[in-house]
Amino acid sequence: MTLDSSHPLDARLNWSHGGGNMIELIDITKKYKQTEAVKNFSMYIGRGEIVGLLGPNGAGKSTVISILSSLIEPTSGDVKFLNESIIKNPQPLRKIIGIVPQEIALYEDLSAEENMKFFGRIYHLKGAVLQKKIDEVLQQIGLMDRKKDLVKTFSGGMKRRLNIGVAMLHDPEILVMDEPTVGIDPQSRNYILQTVKRLNEERGMTVLYTSHYMEEVEYLCDRIYIMDQGNLIASGSKEEIKQILASENTILLKADYWNDEFLEKLQGIPQVQQMQVDEKEVTLVVSKEINIFSEVAHLADETNIQLRSVHIKQVTLEDVFLHLTGRALRD
Amino acid sequence: MKGILLAKFTSFIRGPWLFLIFTGMSIVFTLIIGNIGHGFDRIGVPITGDESIKNSAIGKALEENDVYDFAWREKDALEETVRRGNAEAGIILEEDGYEMIVGIESPNVRLIEQTVAELYAKIFREEAVLGLFAGNEEQKDKFLSDYHEAMENPVFTIENQTFQSAESFIFDRGLHSIFGFTLFFVIFTIFYSVMPILIEKKEGIWDRMILSPLKKWEMYIGNLVYSFIEGYLQILVIFFAFRFLFDMDFHGKFGEILLIMLAYTFTIVSLAIFVTAIVKNTQQFNAALPIVAVSMAMIGGAFWPIEIVQSEFLLALSKINPLTYGMQALNDLVIYQEPFEVVMMPVSILILMGVVFMGVGIHLMEKRHLQ
Ligand SMILES: Nc1ncnc2c1ncn2[C@@H]1O[C@H](COP(=O)(O)OP(=O)(O)OP(=O)(O)O)[C@@H](O)[C@H]1O
Ligand SMILES: [Mg+2]
Repeated sequence: MTLDSSHPLDARLNWSHGGGNMIELIDITKKYKQTEAVKNFSMYIGRGEIVGLLGPNGAGKSTVISILSSLIEPTSGDVKFLNESIIKNPQPLRKIIGIVPQEIALYEDLSAEENMKFFGRIYHLKGAVLQKKIDEVLQQIGLMDRKKDLVKTFSGGMKRRLNIGVAMLHDPEILVMDEPTVGIDPQSRNYILQTVKRLNEERGMTVLYTSHYMEEVEYLCDRIYIMDQGNLIASGSKEEIKQILASENTILLKADYWNDEFLEKLQGIPQVQQMQVDEKEVTLVVSKEINIFSEVAHLADETNIQLRSVHIKQVTLEDVFLHLTGRALRD
Repeated sequence: MKGILLAKFTSFIRGPWLFLIFTGMSIVFTLIIGNIGHGFDRIGVPITGDESIKNSAIGKALEENDVYDFAWREKDALEETVRRGNAEAGIILEEDGYEMIVGIESPNVRLIEQTVAELYAKIFREEAVLGLFAGNEEQKDKFLSDYHEAMENPVFTIENQTFQSAESFIFDRGLHSIFGFTLFFVIFTIFYSVMPILIEKKEGIWDRMILSPLKKWEMYIGNLVYSFIEGYLQILVIFFAFRFLFDMDFHGKFGEILLIMLAYTFTIVSLAIFVTAIVKNTQQFNAALPIVAVSMAMIGGAFWPIEIVQSEFLLALSKINPLTYGMQALNDLVIYQEPFEVVMMPVSILILMGVVFMGVGIHLMEKRHLQ
């Protein structure tokens, strides 16, 4: 794992990893009466990064987020913000953090603008400054023309956008988002993803993005932590994580029909570790060392098979999760 | 804190339906059950007897009685009414005496008996005297008019004070209904105004506030003050309605009633916080509310006078029931016209209970949240 720290503040910091970490979770455990929600979990977030936290339902993502943002205390372990523990003194962190809760944390009977006024005022924003900020955020989340409407008349996607918007009023340096795109239409989802990316690129906002959608995390994040049942099961950059499956390729062959001779000979190739035959598709798992294309083409020629396509499937995080846990990320 | 109040009141104005329903129910139930607007409320007592007694002086006097509503029934119907408990007692009238059928042994029964017995005694006395004038109609008429005049303008009066034995109590159905239903329905309004705390915590509104510079106490005070105002507003609306629309004078204690209700409202807000702290979610809250409210009303004397509750166990329970003290304070003040020091007793208990519920409730809530 590598740390890319480019922020000037980093120079002042001196951490064992050698980089400028805004937030570190050190060996966090959280026990409830029945369950151990988080087990020996460690992570760090560098300034300006978008870090993904990925895991299926009940993995412990929300619990990690609550601990990280000083809302609940861990059973053991420590949370540091700029090298100071936040467990005893959460105030410095609270000033610069914005959270987007997993559920819609808004007053349904108030309008979008009234909600923003309320959540702005609790940060002591007022008057023209607040109004300017509200307009700016409404613009960003694309709700300018609905600002006078009550939240309860909003669609799921609009509520989600506003849920993010109210977290940005006080210009947080780090935005912690707990599954911000759950249960909404693809357009709203894309809109949110782009907004997050833009915030990060244009303002250098640090983001912790929680999700159980692989694609989102792949699109947005620099580094990824994958959790399952309270455990950290993998972490690193996208590429590093995919390296876990690096020694294998998945190859997909397509044709109108197969014959036994071709299939037998295919299976005979030593590098083929697994083969799955469907009506018009064959999926091969092969070790990576050799180029298998010419061999497959040659076999097809020999046995009169008209191949329509041969291609290497990209390794996805989904595959990694499957590989690590034996389960699909989403049921 | 101002922000919280503003947000809450804006929401209230946009959706006051629950508030209006509970306020309306208080008033409507009181009007129906308290029989207000139908003049003096008299306790019904069925009586029976043959034609001659109906037309006799006794029959006429009973019909005109303005404490009890003596109503003629067939004998069977009378027995049935008493047996079902629709009347506390019934009376079978005869020329030379009466027979009383008692359903429920209550202080009223004794007072009814007293009324009837006095009437018979008076008539017998008159008849005994009239017997002396047998045959002399002129003298008899003269005596009768003298006698009646003497009765109406006595030379001296003997004050006949109604005695209140230890067991007896005054039951004013109109006032009792106003007090009972107001104290009962406001529990719902207040609880439903506190419930959003549960939702706001679950959804994360509280998390947002906790991370902001807003202070914890501001969050609590904002919510509690709002619930207090909403609950007290309902009480004000109800009492003002009865005072000025239905012209009830509350024996001149209108202002004091409103003062006592401040303490009661505070205690119920605290109780609501306490219940909110011990339930896990809104489903449990919704299940707990009617149980709490209805049992408080039943053992606290909101639906019927607590004086008729007999069970030791229920009476013991009523001692930890804020509604009991609310009713007691109002009854002492308005009906028994007790001095202020006496009324302060239940009021102090209310305030004490409020402080305890509030303290324990907030403590539990905070403890659970940090876990
Ligand atoms: N307050 C609590 N008391 C008891 N158990 C809890 C509590 N909060 C969370 N848990 C348990 O801890 C585990 C992790 O929960 P958490 O909400 O962190 O998961 P998650 O990854 O956010 O899941 P989801 O994708 O469903 O939001 C679950 O088994 C949950 O039941
Ligand atoms: Mg979660």
